[in-house]
Amino acid sequence: MLAHGRTRLLTRNTRWTRQAHDARWPGWELVVGIEVHAQIKSRRKLFSGCGAEALASDLTTPPNTHVAPFDAAFPGTLPHLNPKCVELGVRTAIALNADVQHRSAFDRKHYFYADLPSGYQITQQYAPIARNGRLDLEKDGISVRVKQVQLEQDTGKSTFLPRNRITAIDLNRAGMPLMEIVSEPDMRSPEQAGNYVRTLQALLRSVGSSDGNMEQGSLRCDVNVSVNRVGEPPGTRCEIKNLNSVKFMMVAITCEAFRQISLLERGLPVAQETRGFNEERAETYSLRSKEDAPDYRYMPDPNIPPLLIDSTYIDAIRQRMPELPNATRARLLVQGLSQRDVEVLMDVDSGREVGYDGQLGYGAVAYFDEVARGRDPKVVVNWITHELLGQLAFRDETFKENPMSTEQMGDLIDLVQAGKVTGTSGKTILRHILTTRTSDLPSKIAEDLKLLAASDDGASLETWCREAIAALPEQADVVRRGNLKVVDKIMGHVMKASRGTAKAQDVRAMLLKLLQ
Amino acid sequence: MLLLARRGPCSILHRRHASTRTVNSVINALTSEPSSLCAPSAGPLAGLRLAVKDNICTKAWPTTCSSKILENFKSPFDATVVSLLLDGGAEIVGKANCDEFGMGSLNIHSSHGPVVNPFGLHNGEIVERRSAGGSSGGSAAAVAAHLCDAALGTDTGGSVRLPASYCGVVGLKPSYGIISRWGVVSFADSLDCVGVLAQDVHTVRRVHNALAIYDSRDPTAAPSRIREKAAQLCRRHLEQGQDGALNGLRIGIPQEYFPTELQDSIVASVQRILAQLRSRGATLVPVSLPSTRYALSAYYVISSAEASSNLARYDGIECGMRVEPPPGADLVKTANVYAHTRSLGFGKEVQRRMLLGTYALSADAFENYFLQAQRVRKLIKADFDRVFCVPNALNSSPSAPSEGVHVLLHPSAIQTAPKLPGQDDANAESSTLDAYVQDVMTVPASLAGLPAMSVPGGQGADGWPIGVSVVGQWGCDELVMRVGEVIESCREEAS
Repeated sequence: MLAHGRTRLLTRNTRWTRQAHDARWPGWELVVGIEVHAQIKSRRKLFSGCGAEALASDLTTPPNTHVAPFDAAFPGTLPHLNPKCVELGVRTAIALNADVQHRSAFDRKHYFYADLPSGYQITQQYAPIARNGRLDLEKDGISVRVKQVQLEQDTGKSTFLPRNRITAIDLNRAGMPLMEIVSEPDMRSPEQAGNYVRTLQALLRSVGSSDGNMEQGSLRCDVNVSVNRVGEPPGTRCEIKNLNSVKFMMVAITCEAFRQISLLERGLPVAQETRGFNEERAETYSLRSKEDAPDYRYMPDPNIPPLLIDSTYIDAIRQRMPELPNATRARLLVQGLSQRDVEVLMDVDSGREVGYDGQLGYGAVAYFDEVARGRDPKVVVNWITHELLGQLAFRDETFKENPMSTEQMGDLIDLVQAGKVTGTSGKTILRHILTTRTSDLPSKIAEDLKLLAASDDGASLETWCREAIAALPEQADVVRRGNLKVVDKIMGHVMKASRGTAKAQDVRAMLLKLLQ
Repeated sequence: MLLLARRGPCSILHRRHASTRTVNSVINALTSEPSSLCAPSAGPLAGLRLAVKDNICTKAWPTTCSSKILENFKSPFDATVVSLLLDGGAEIVGKANCDEFGMGSLNIHSSHGPVVNPFGLHNGEIVERRSAGGSSGGSAAAVAAHLCDAALGTDTGGSVRLPASYCGVVGLKPSYGIISRWGVVSFADSLDCVGVLAQDVHTVRRVHNALAIYDSRDPTAAPSRIREKAAQLCRRHLEQGQDGALNGLRIGIPQEYFPTELQDSIVASVQRILAQLRSRGATLVPVSLPSTRYALSAYYVISSAEASSNLARYDGIECGMRVEPPPGADLVKTANVYAHTRSLGFGKEVQRRMLLGTYALSADAFENYFLQAQRVRKLIKADFDRVFCVPNALNSSPSAPSEGVHVLLHPSAIQTAPKLPGQDDANAESSTLDAYVQDVMTVPASLAGLPAMSVPGGQGADGWPIGVSVVGQWGCDELVMRVGEVIESCREEAS
């Protein structure tokens, strides 16, 4: 449930996005930088070896069932770098136009917490796998610089059970691979920040490195927010931790901007600190001040040799890079699709399943590409977005559940285009496939259901038309007197009689001939 | 892996175990009672009985690291070295006492109590209570007391060589990365090596060769191609040492390894050995390793820093001992909850080193301590590369001075085995510092990752054993063992 205040903030946000000076805070400038933690979609954990217990898990996995001795920090265990995670990290770096570092290294970040069994997290503090990337936000017309991408371990999960005052620990997630993607402070509004995260999500999904699912926690954001009077240097920043939806992140940034401005306007300084966000109250609160910042005692991990990546390896990944969202969008537009059709296709596409270890999911765009091979793209996109997606939505099914193969869709479009079935029959066949989930080709279904268009069967057409005229004598007279509009009514009668197999144009021509 | 067949030889083993128990109750070398498990008799290690240091994971026995914090811990897996021993046909007689987590030079910091040097045994009684050295004191004492034929130890800064020297046995610390560390409980990962102790070099070699196998589960294991490269580089210099003739072998005597603290009788023994080696054709070359004087400080900073990190995992949650916080204790901060377990579970020496290491890694000290120590470590490696004629296979473009030496030779310790401190020793604190100084001869090879072996080198003025150390270039483990064998034969000749 959204609180009233928050709803108001959101509506105001969207209205003023494009304004150079933000009407929410005239005279002030907002500066935002974002750290995204995206879980790498790999089958196995980052360092836990190849045992069955080192497999990735999801929210349905029973607690503490995917835990290798290494994940529980058992004595005598050693890390073993999973090359798939490196590959997906490099793929992401290339997608972000970043420089993949030929030499990167792993460090230990120390702190005591119950969901961190070894007492340290292995990360890349000093030498990240990639630097100097950027992410273009086409909608905002800006390019956000990406400072670095680093590989690191996820922690386990701890859940406080207030009733028995204990903390339950689940180590399934412990040791899962994360990419920390650190932006430069290049965003100037909550909306740009939201767009950055959404664009990044789509990018990660398109290269198959993460499913970027914020609800399930496979993508988490920390944002750095500061404000300054226009023309003045940036102010002191505060970090807001653990934001787990784009919407709440935008609200949190807005609230934080107002809080900082209100302090400065009263002549009070903004303290550099780490803050949390209360979603119910729509306000940020202090977690710890700069003075209380823990000393993580970073140390190069003595067990993990430097990660050396040569140009041949990077080039090989570059060769096999999947198409990025911006390129897909441009390609579809060139094919003559409307902006709207492209958005619909891409939107459905971004919901596709991201496979393990970089295996690319099969989404709406791939479906379109396959059907459109050798066919008119505009016709194909119409059938997909209007008929198929429409019917799926009507049936409350997602594209993932679509039973209609590209062969079936292609055959159907060919039948309709060739005039072998009418558009109406085509839609019937489509519904038939969705309902019965048959794998029969539409040409066979059309035959079985007697839906083949009676194109050159002049005899039956004439019979249907004569019957219709006989059935509707008044309307026939009106047409005879020259009011051609009424012919549509008689046509409807014919169509009904032919169960949609008659072609409207032919019916019209025959009726006019008979009524002349 | 262990075969539980009750066959003929087992009864012999049973009798042997009975006497083993009596001796062990006096010297406290083995922590778990020897069992009557019979091993398969086939394989390169068939017939060998081994003890395994208690910081090496075994499924069949607890792995306590001589720490209260792991007093009932049983590992769910065998260390790679343990699997290799069993696969090779060896019999494991039990786990060997050690300093807690390998931290110590006297094997007095152990939840199992100190190990008593068996050299002081006469007719089954201890007549003089001296230290067996540490941290692999149990391993060395078990070998010296014939409780086993060989033992696995671990060596982080001298923990195999020092007890070998004190107990009068052979102790090899192989090149870093040659023997798998999977299943070896980490003290300081960048320094830890599994080492082998035995009565003679021949047995050490037998065990070493069975263990020196690449293991993909150890990320710091030297890959096969590096091993081959090193073997090639060494082979060119390995004609020496065959059949006891040493023509052409150049032995470096590092001047920094003869500090003022060195007992005179040790110098005399080393000189005697050097004279014998020269008479067999070796050339003695005085060399200097100028960075040696910084080695001890660098070693303690690096090893303690890594230890503070590695031991962070003992928190009473996943495994090992747990002390419940008392009623009313602060449960908000995780560290405060752990503190109850860690304060009681870790011994004084371990706590001391963790505090030192934690400080060295703190933001304020990192540059001046940890990074400085790493720079010193580089200088020490460079020192060694400057004196050896065998190039370092780990360097990208190996080159070496042609007039360099094949191996270095120096005393293993500054003294013979020191007395064990009494129960109420007032000088406990000062003896700690003495113990650190003791490591001065052994830590440089550890920092450089070089193979080093202590071989018995006679007796000191007090009649107790002394050891001499042979140090070689990285990957020249076999050359080091060959020279060790010659020293062994010199001693036999002399006696």
